[in-house]
Amino acid sequence: MPRPAVILVGADKGGVGKTTVSRTLLDYFASRKITTRAFDTECPKGTLKRFHPGITDVVDVTSVPDQMKIFDTVESSGTQITLIDIRAGLMTPTLEALRNIGFIDMTKRGDLAFAVFHILGPSIASLDEIAETSKFLLDARYFLVKNFINNTTFFDWDEGTYNSYFNRIPHAVEVAVPKLSEMACEKVELSAVPFGTFIADRTASGQPAGYSFVLRGYVRHWLNGVFTEYDRVRLTDILESQDSAAAKPRASAKVAELSPQRASS
Amino acid sequence: MNASAIDRRNTPVAPSPEPGRSGRAPIYIVCSPNRQVGKTMLARLLAEHYMADSRVFAAYDLSDEAPGLADFLTHYVSIPNIRDMRSQVRFFDGLIEAGNVPKIIDVSHREFANFFTIVDKIGLFEEARRRTIEPLILFLIDPSPVAAKAYGLLRRRFSGISLLPVRNLTVAKGLPYCASFPHASKLVVSLEMAVLGHAARALVEREKFSFLNLAKQTPPYSDMSARTRAELDAWFRRARFQFREIELSLIREQILAALQSDLCA
Repeated sequence: MPRPAVILVGADKGGVGKTTVSRTLLDYFASRKITTRAFDTECPKGTLKRFHPGITDVVDVTSVPDQMKIFDTVESSGTQITLIDIRAGLMTPTLEALRNIGFIDMTKRGDLAFAVFHILGPSIASLDEIAETSKFLLDARYFLVKNFINNTTFFDWDEGTYNSYFNRIPHAVEVAVPKLSEMACEKVELSAVPFGTFIADRTASGQPAGYSFVLRGYVRHWLNGVFTEYDRVRLTDILESQDSAAAKPRASAKVAELSPQRASS
Repeated sequence: MNASAIDRRNTPVAPSPEPGRSGRAPIYIVCSPNRQVGKTMLARLLAEHYMADSRVFAAYDLSDEAPGLADFLTHYVSIPNIRDMRSQVRFFDGLIEAGNVPKIIDVSHREFANFFTIVDKIGLFEEARRRTIEPLILFLIDPSPVAAKAYGLLRRRFSGISLLPVRNLTVAKGLPYCASFPHASKLVVSLEMAVLGHAARALVEREKFSFLNLAKQTPPYSDMSARTRAELDAWFRRARFQFREIELSLIREQILAALQSDLCA
């Protein structure tokens, strides 16, 4: 029996692509037929909700009622994944709140799965964030995401320094999100649909959209690359019990498996 | 009906298909990773084959050195650019939207890798087939290891797409097909360009030369000997015979596919 999982996507710095990564995760789980719900903490105007309105609620993660709305319903919601797109600056406060309400202890008992996607920026400040964040995550799956989509080069990192931070967290896994051309990226932004729906050439209401076939091809190629990364780190294993996850062989999901209906949901 | 006249300064303006013609329209991709193997000559022959029957076609010159296809067939050939995303969208989207019109693309040796990388990323061939367009890669073979390697790569990467080795006897006489350039197509055709005599060759290499004007009594056509005229006429007819074989093979494949689909229904 799969256990419900909570995925936090965040960074203390803004503009590093948190919402983009959240969108790829929602598309990935949709392609694997894993049910999801999402919370967008860009309150009151959510960005994630623009792309996935059917499954996304905009919440203020610092308010107790909204914390109850998210965390009290993880098991009863009927969805396998609860994804929370944490807005800039709220990563550490949210983890503190989770610790205070006993959520992190629940995950230690194995009742719930918990994973954090920490989106890294190119500055050394991002490395300090790792140290800050990791102290909450001894039993969680911790993914350090190098997001190249917005042309980040990570040029000012010294490899040794990075490794010293990286090695402090025994379960940290590095994920690289490849670059998508600006024009394709911009077109998907304007169309305000999930990546899978864009690839399937559909509008948000499921009608034929007439997007450029070239741009759809580039987005499909890019999203396949992202999915390959998620397969590589065995992302869906977070749903399994800790014992069975270790032994399970990997399966791969391709973007072609996204049906228009599924992708636009 | 006249062959399509396209503004050569810009990319595809889709000509309308011929009334009454249906079925899959071919995209001929004339290519080789090497120069001086006869790519432009083959593309010219194909274009003039359609012109001789007053059939609609579209031709694109992706060469970056003169004389290219557009230098010989000035009014019939577009010169696209595929170096940046915006140009790629204009060219490849136009190519796909042009629908049921045969298309000829002369890919220069310098654009070879870039062209097929883009084609692979955007899924051009898959999309073309969804839109009843049949991609045919006409690969000019030669004895160099580069050609054999490139042919092998195309064969592996685009399995299921017709990859036809074209033997230009001027550069590939005696070169065994089977080892390095195995036939990789359902179409049972074998393409060969015979050696031309020096006088005939010098004539066809002149810009503005057209096989369709062989009967003209104005220079340079009036200056050629009867023997050269007969040689060129026979050479062109032989090439056209092979192109008709391709067209017939395409029709045969379509009929077989339709029959198979009817039997399965």
